[in-house]
Amino acid sequence: MAHIVLDKVTKSYAGGVTAVDAVDLEIRDGELMVLLGPSGCGKSTTLRMIAGLETISSGDLYIDGERVNEKDPRDRDLAIVFQNYALYPHMNVARNLGFGLKLRRVPPAEIERRVQETARMLGIEALLKRRPAQLSGGQRQRVALGRALVRQPRGFLLDEPLSNLDAQLRTTMRLELIKLHRQLGATIIHVTHDQLEAMTMGERICIMDGGKVVQVGPPADVYRNPASLFVAGFLASPPMNLLPAAVVGSDGGGLAVRVGATTLPLPEEYLQAYAGCRDRSVVLGVRPEDLHEAAPALPQITVAANAVEMVGPEVILVGTPEGLETEASARLSRAFRAEPGDRISLGVDMRQIHLFDPATGLAVPRPDLGFEPHRR
Amino acid sequence: MSALFAPTLAARDRRFGYAMAAPAIVVLAAIILAPVALALATSLFDYTLMNMTFDRFIGFDNFVAALSSSEFANSMVVTTLFVIAVVALEFVIGFVVALMLTTVKRGKNIYYLILLIPLLINPVVVGLIWRMLLHPTLGIVNWLLGGIGVPDIDWLGHPGTAFWTVVLVDIWHQVSFMAVLLTAGLSALPTEPYEAARAEGAGTLQTFWYITLPLMKPVIAVTLLIRLIFAIKTYDLIYIMTRGGPGDATDLISYYIYRSAFARLNLGEAAAMAILLMVIVIVLTLALFRTMRARG
Amino acid sequence: MRVNMLLAATALVAVPMLAHGQTISILMESVPDTRFVQEVVPQFTEATGIEVDIEVVNYAEMHAKLVPQLVAPEGSYDVIVVDFYWVGEFIKAGWLQPLDDRIAESGFDTSVYVPVLFDLVGQVDGTTYMLPFYNYAMGLTYRKDLLEDPENQAAFEARYGMPLRVPETWEEYKNQVAFFTDREAGFYGVVNQGLRPDPIAMEWSNYLFANGGQFHDENWNPTLTTPEAVQALEDYKMMISEYGPVGAASFGFDEAFNVAAQGQAYSYLTYNMFRTAYDDPEISAVVGKMELAPVPNGGLNGAWGWAIPVSSPDPDAAWQFLQWIESPEIARQRAMLGGSPTRFDVFDDPELNATYPYYPALRALLDTAHNFPVFTYTPELVDIMGRELSLAVVGDKTSEEALAAIQEEFTELARRDGKIE
Repeated sequence: MAHIVLDKVTKSYAGGVTAVDAVDLEIRDGELMVLLGPSGCGKSTTLRMIAGLETISSGDLYIDGERVNEKDPRDRDLAIVFQNYALYPHMNVARNLGFGLKLRRVPPAEIERRVQETARMLGIEALLKRRPAQLSGGQRQRVALGRALVRQPRGFLLDEPLSNLDAQLRTTMRLELIKLHRQLGATIIHVTHDQLEAMTMGERICIMDGGKVVQVGPPADVYRNPASLFVAGFLASPPMNLLPAAVVGSDGGGLAVRVGATTLPLPEEYLQAYAGCRDRSVVLGVRPEDLHEAAPALPQITVAANAVEMVGPEVILVGTPEGLETEASARLSRAFRAEPGDRISLGVDMRQIHLFDPATGLAVPRPDLGFEPHRR
Repeated sequence: MSALFAPTLAARDRRFGYAMAAPAIVVLAAIILAPVALALATSLFDYTLMNMTFDRFIGFDNFVAALSSSEFANSMVVTTLFVIAVVALEFVIGFVVALMLTTVKRGKNIYYLILLIPLLINPVVVGLIWRMLLHPTLGIVNWLLGGIGVPDIDWLGHPGTAFWTVVLVDIWHQVSFMAVLLTAGLSALPTEPYEAARAEGAGTLQTFWYITLPLMKPVIAVTLLIRLIFAIKTYDLIYIMTRGGPGDATDLISYYIYRSAFARLNLGEAAAMAILLMVIVIVLTLALFRTMRARG
Repeated sequence: MRVNMLLAATALVAVPMLAHGQTISILMESVPDTRFVQEVVPQFTEATGIEVDIEVVNYAEMHAKLVPQLVAPEGSYDVIVVDFYWVGEFIKAGWLQPLDDRIAESGFDTSVYVPVLFDLVGQVDGTTYMLPFYNYAMGLTYRKDLLEDPENQAAFEARYGMPLRVPETWEEYKNQVAFFTDREAGFYGVVNQGLRPDPIAMEWSNYLFANGGQFHDENWNPTLTTPEAVQALEDYKMMISEYGPVGAASFGFDEAFNVAAQGQAYSYLTYNMFRTAYDDPEISAVVGKMELAPVPNGGLNGAWGWAIPVSSPDPDAAWQFLQWIESPEIARQRAMLGGSPTRFDVFDDPELNATYPYYPALRALLDTAHNFPVFTYTPELVDIMGRELSLAVVGDKTSEEALAAIQEEFTELARRDGKIE
């Protein structure tokens, strides 16, 4: 299996556009790494450079310690699954699966055996004689995946393989991919713009923006400690509330965050970390699930309700905090009821907040207290 | 409920469809079927330019006369060889040109223009130009070849060479037809399978063989078919360059039919041969389509 | 304002057209003699007020363009020109108006025409359908300068025991061809036009006559398997393979002419109208060096005639034009421009003879010329001859086989045409 290292890998085009800007990234042997970012962030280009479908403008790419910048795709021994599946329309499923093996001059009997095996693994044995045009989206997806699997390459590169599927199928396939990864223990680089997919699948997530790597880490870490406003705003839905605020001194020598008309005291654990922010404006980051109704033990913020969305297991309240223009959302219990215009007092779990420097967009570092969510 | 209404609705739809298509069918019949029917009728009568009346019905005598004529047989053989030679060579050359064109990034239009020039020239002019260039003692081709020590080639005066000379000139004239059609076909191919093949480790030749050729199959079929039909109808080039000679080495069927009609004034027999030719073309068309579909 | 001007302009154009009104249309071939007609035609319009619309097309297109107009009750051509080739077909189909009544009425003199031409493109079986337009009888064009070179004369006489002079026998000519051929130097005794069908058929006809052969006896029984005919074909094959340039088996008359005009051949047996072209420095490298002589024993005649089709919309105006264009003065003017003569008055004109010293040779050529068989199936015979002669030239058939095939098909055609039983 493959251990892939990107060292300042850059892709720039004639005309001065830099699609991928000095990306440093290490994908460990057997790891499932997710490249996450909005469209145009350079994640697909990065993947294609790893695959060998795009040349690397500068920087180095190593697979298992060997520099492979100039190597042909065939010599990198990685399999890629494309977003549109890129099946060969003129071949039936069996030949689609076996084509890569045929190119590698694997004996026909062996091809047959491995095609059958792969088809069985993916549950597409019944489709082997069909043409791609006769398959549903999900079936094509499986064939595309099978085409990668059957070759038993040292790594898999998945370029948004699930984005053309409907929501339900996507969930199913996501789980299957996780299962497959566990089963095969293969190195997988999975590109997606779907943060939920990234969160659920990745052993580590690499978040990219504007051709640069913004943050790399296990999903929980990234979720808990977004390194920047971009990550904070990109991950999760609804995303973290980001409210203009300022750090002020409070009675008793502590620090507090003034957000609109409300002043919220910072927990003692963070005083040292946030001392430098005193008397400066910051962006306060609070996840919707860290706003609680009927939690008198917590510092309160009053919000004018704009909308109340019942989504089943919970209620999403969207409202405007007092003294602000910016909206914030809160995930409340499904029992919560309110009418637009109601003024609602919410408790803020200050141990889970983040402060960001509005100038750089970066998070102000603070100790990680782990998840100790407020219990009602 | 809707199932109950369906038949009557469908019937009404169908009737409306026929009504809408009727004018087009009438026009088509008038400009395509009528001449064919007239040719068919002519082929059954003793109809000559001297006696342009349908008053002597002779059944299939014209067909018998054509089929038992050794000149007709010879021109069928010559035509078959000619068609195979030009279509095969033009296809291969045209495909190579088309493949090269798809890799061209800049100035594609200039290449297209250059390619199209021969196609835009009237075949009569093409024949005249080449007759001039290929003049054995005064033409520039033999002069240039002489410069590198090649003795004068008798391009059109020897049966074997004349055949291939006509083939070469036809290639010069028509190869861009293939190239342009195939280029259009190539540029319409999806790009994804190519990336997939590259990622799977296919080389240039393998990609061509396993991806390009099969994907191009419908375009190739149509291109070959059109070219084949046009090649069977080759007439102008022969008229200008060889008049079917020397001997009967380049006596293509269309030229022979022309002579039957206008030198021999025997429109009936000419029509009979034209009908035979049409049947052959139709059979070829069906056969080609069938094999293409069967393999696909 | 603009509309008014337009109307005024239209009126200006329209008035003269209304005044004169009459227009006659003629379909002609793009050859020098047509150009000469175009040059003199304004005089006709000036004299009669009749506009002449001459449509000029290639030979290849003419027949196909003519037939539909000839078949129609009223065609678009008032006057047509007819190749001797088509005479049999056109007469048989009844497409041409007899001219005898008009000739008698107008007192038009047809005795001025050289008889061999009037027989070819004048009258058919005693009825006059056409007036000869110009002749393209074939003659021998040869290198006068080489023939008259004393050194050559001495060498030739030493080798063949006969004088080197304008050939009076076919044997003499063949010796001359052999004598002047120098393949090493790229100079050939003769250049032939071996292209199917008419170039080879027409050229070979000269060989047939030169060897004393004929197409048929007086009862139309074909005589193409005679020893003379075989010898003619053997001669023809030898000329191409031994004494001619590479490619002569596929030359049309233009390519063959170019070889001669570029000074690469001693002789070329061709249509007499090429004689003037040798003296055009733009296309010839042998200006003043080529001369015309009759083919020993007489060559092949050829000519075009003027005719009024039955479908002519305005036969009276057409006859008016024919009378004028073939009047002594206009015939003289056309000849002066370089037209190929058909008439004694032109041949005898002193000024023309001074301008064109080859007139006596041309006259002699016509006097000895033989006609090609003119019957309904002339074009088909030419086609058959073209094919068979070409097969013999390239060696796919022996001379005997090729001639036997021509003989057989010619007999069948003559029978079909009612010439023989």
